[in-house]
Amino acid sequence: MKLSRFYKFLYIIILSFVFFTLKIFAVENIDERVKKLTLELRCMTCQNQSIYDSDAEFSNDIKKIVKNKLKAGESERDIKKFLVERYGEYILFRPLMNYNNIFLWSFPFILLIIGLFFVLIKSKRNKV
Amino acid sequence: MNRIFVLTPLIVLLIICIFSLAYLLSGKDPNKPPSALLNKDVPIFESSSLYNEKDIIKTKDIKNKKTLINFFASWCSPCKIEHPLFFEIRKKYPELYLLGFNHKDPTSDAKKYLKDDGNPYDFVGVDSDGLIALEFGVFGLPETYLINEDGKIIYKYMGPITMDILKNEIEPLL
Repeated sequence: MKLSRFYKFLYIIILSFVFFTLKIFAVENIDERVKKLTLELRCMTCQNQSIYDSDAEFSNDIKKIVKNKLKAGESERDIKKFLVERYGEYILFRPLMNYNNIFLWSFPFILLIIGLFFVLIKSKRNKV
Repeated sequence: MNRIFVLTPLIVLLIICIFSLAYLLSGKDPNKPPSALLNKDVPIFESSSLYNEKDIIKTKDIKNKKTLINFFASWCSPCKIEHPLFFEIRKKYPELYLLGFNHKDPTSDAKKYLKDDGNPYDFVGVDSDGLIALEFGVFGLPETYLINEDGKIIYKYMGPITMDILKNEIEPLL
C-alpha cells in the first residue's frame, strides 16, 4: 500500500500535533500537581501563606524542588516526607495522621461521642 | 446528674485553657519551630571551597570534631550583624571547627564580603544552588548549627546570633 505524498504529509502533521499536545498536557498536568501540593505547604518565612501563594525565595526554591521531584516520578507522599524530614511537620498545613497526632485527630470525635452521650441521656430523661 | 451537664463542658474548657496558657507561657515562638534535624545526624553534603574549587569538604570531614556551621551571604544584612561574633568564638574556642556556607551568592561578592569584614571560618563552602541549605532545613539567613563529635546536630539557631545567645545557649554546649 503506497501513501500519496499528501497523505504522508498529513500523517506527519497529525502525529506532530498529537505529540506536542500530549507534551503540553503533561507539562500542565505537572504544574497542576505542583499547585495542588504546594497549596498544602506552609511558607516558613511568611505569615499564613502557602508555598504556592508566596513569592518568597524559600517558597520559590520549594516549588522548584517539588516540580523536579514530580518530574522525576516521586509521589506526593514521598515529597511531603522529604520536606517534613528537613523542615518538620510545621511545613504541612494539615498535620500527618500518625501516633504523635492521634489526640489531635481524635479529639473532635471524642467531643462528639461525649456530646451524643449527653444528648442521649437528656432525651431519655425528658421521655421519663 | 444536672451538675454533670453543667460541669463537664466547663471542665473541658478549663483543660483547653490550661494547655493554651501553658503554651503561651512556655515562650515558644510558633514562627520559629524547632529544627526537624535536631539530635539527628548531620545531612550528607559536599561543597567546594570559595577560594579553591578543587578543595572539597564532605560530611565525613567534620566527623570527630565539634563544628559550628553558619549559613551566610553577602546580601544578607543580619549576617553582617552576627559576623564579628564568629571572631570572638574563634578566639575563645580555637579547637572548634568553624564551617561557613556561602548561600546563593556570586563568588566575587562573597570574596569581597569576607575580605572587607574578615574571614573567621576554617572553611568556606559554596552553596550556590541552595541545595546544602535545603538538606539542613534552612529557610532564612543567617542560620547556625552546632554539630557534636558524633556528627549529630545538637543546636540550631535561626537569625543573627547575639552575645546573649552565644553565652546562654551556645557556650554551655561547647
